[in-house]
Amino acid sequence: MITGSAFVEILKCGPGTTVRDKGRLGFALYGVPMSGPADSLAFEWVNHLLKNDPNSAVIEISQPGLSLRFQQPTQIALAGAKAKININNHTVASFGLHQIQRDDILEIGAFSAGSLLYLGIHGGIQTEVVLGSRSFYPGITPLSFFKKGDQIPVKPLMIENKKTTFSNVKWDVNRYASESIEVYPGPEWHLLTEWEKEQLIGKPLTVSSMKNAMAIQLEELLPNQLPEISTAPVYPGTVQLTSGGKLLCLMQDAQVTGGYPRVLQVTENSLGNLAQKKPGAIVKFELMC
Amino acid sequence: MSPTLTFITPTISEFYWDQEVSDQLLMDQLAFDSLLTQEFNAQIQETRLGFKTLSVLWKKAMEQDEIEKLTNEFQPGHFSLPETLWEVPVSYSHSHGRDLKGLAASKNISEDEFIALHSNPLYRIHFYGFLPGFMYLNGLPKKLITPRKKIPDRSIPPGSVAIGASQTGIYPMESPGGWHLIGRSPLLFFNVQSNPPVWAKPGERLKFTPISEKEFDLLIRHPKAARRL
Repeated sequence: MITGSAFVEILKCGPGTTVRDKGRLGFALYGVPMSGPADSLAFEWVNHLLKNDPNSAVIEISQPGLSLRFQQPTQIALAGAKAKININNHTVASFGLHQIQRDDILEIGAFSAGSLLYLGIHGGIQTEVVLGSRSFYPGITPLSFFKKGDQIPVKPLMIENKKTTFSNVKWDVNRYASESIEVYPGPEWHLLTEWEKEQLIGKPLTVSSMKNAMAIQLEELLPNQLPEISTAPVYPGTVQLTSGGKLLCLMQDAQVTGGYPRVLQVTENSLGNLAQKKPGAIVKFELMC
Repeated sequence: MSPTLTFITPTISEFYWDQEVSDQLLMDQLAFDSLLTQEFNAQIQETRLGFKTLSVLWKKAMEQDEIEKLTNEFQPGHFSLPETLWEVPVSYSHSHGRDLKGLAASKNISEDEFIALHSNPLYRIHFYGFLPGFMYLNGLPKKLITPRKKIPDRSIPPGSVAIGASQTGIYPMESPGGWHLIGRSPLLFFNVQSNPPVWAKPGERLKFTPISEKEFDLLIRHPKAARRL
């Protein structure tokens, strides 16, 4: 249920803007995806800066063009991608805390590094909790994406000019510079030939434009003779290899089971880095043993 | 039969049974699932089933030895599958099952024979996946096995009953999909307002009951809960 009485109005919105908390755990047995944040480190960071509950809902932004008007004073925090951020037409830092006054307008412009920006707000976004989570998912939450004109419920700021954390710890956008993505062998890894394994590990692979909250497809094809498998569990980070040779890295909104061989499993640490890669970026899988 | 254990990551392990999909295998999977939950309840975040697999997401990294030991000692014992049988009314009309006519023709059987073949068996629910509330069912007659569509349909209405390869299933929500539509059920298969959001459990069975388009419309206007037979 919606609590509190404050709202943030969406004046403009690009596609793929969603609410994320830690997601739906314990509902996979009914076929419900996890839908946590794609980059959990950036998600945790904004809530940490705001001294929010660690599971507070934040906004995950995957395209420039978001413009918000705040109806109440509050405090916000940004982490993840580096983007051009304006408050009332003044450019401000892309990371860290910002004080917001009534009627302030926040605009998210072009992304210069990374591809997902996390916008946290004092007290967390207050959209409806469905099956234990506020994370958007089509068919589960009333909204799948934000659009122009939506009113985002938030908690009113209780203390005027809440003291900020005088933390000098900076968000390090270089964490996304690494091409290396740590992986474990997937359940069907052993079915690959030595040659196929060599093509997967340490070789440059390209993030394609087929990239969303369900999966990231890589451009390179890996011809293979693997049989389809009996439908089996998959997780965010599972890398599937299709009979056509496509490599699909499943992300947070992926379905809970799949029929393609699961050749790799990206580590939790590397999944956020992978999610932050732009189409055209090079990644190299590094095998953990 | 004991499954083989693989640790995929320190917090994800998978148990695999190298045998054909069957009631017996499902019984072993469910028995093993309940044994695991009994022994490691505090450490398990969640478990997921596949046709030949059981996967566990652990709250934190686990010692492989301890779980290995349980796996080796596993005795399926007296576990049996539930007797519960659900009735799923389906309108097999042309407007609800747009691919049925072509499918029947391709198999050289009449539409009535097709409907009888599909609605006679009792189907076993193995697990949920693909979409929230989508049941993976076992029991489609061999005659009805049909390769998936080369180009998936952009939009399939909720409640659609479809065939894809050796499986039949029901789309619980509007979705794109590559299966052949043969009918539509007026029941609600996934309800976020209830907990659990589904009414049937893995291991239970269901049966499709043919209904007319008129009965379908009536049930859409006056929805009824799924009924046990």
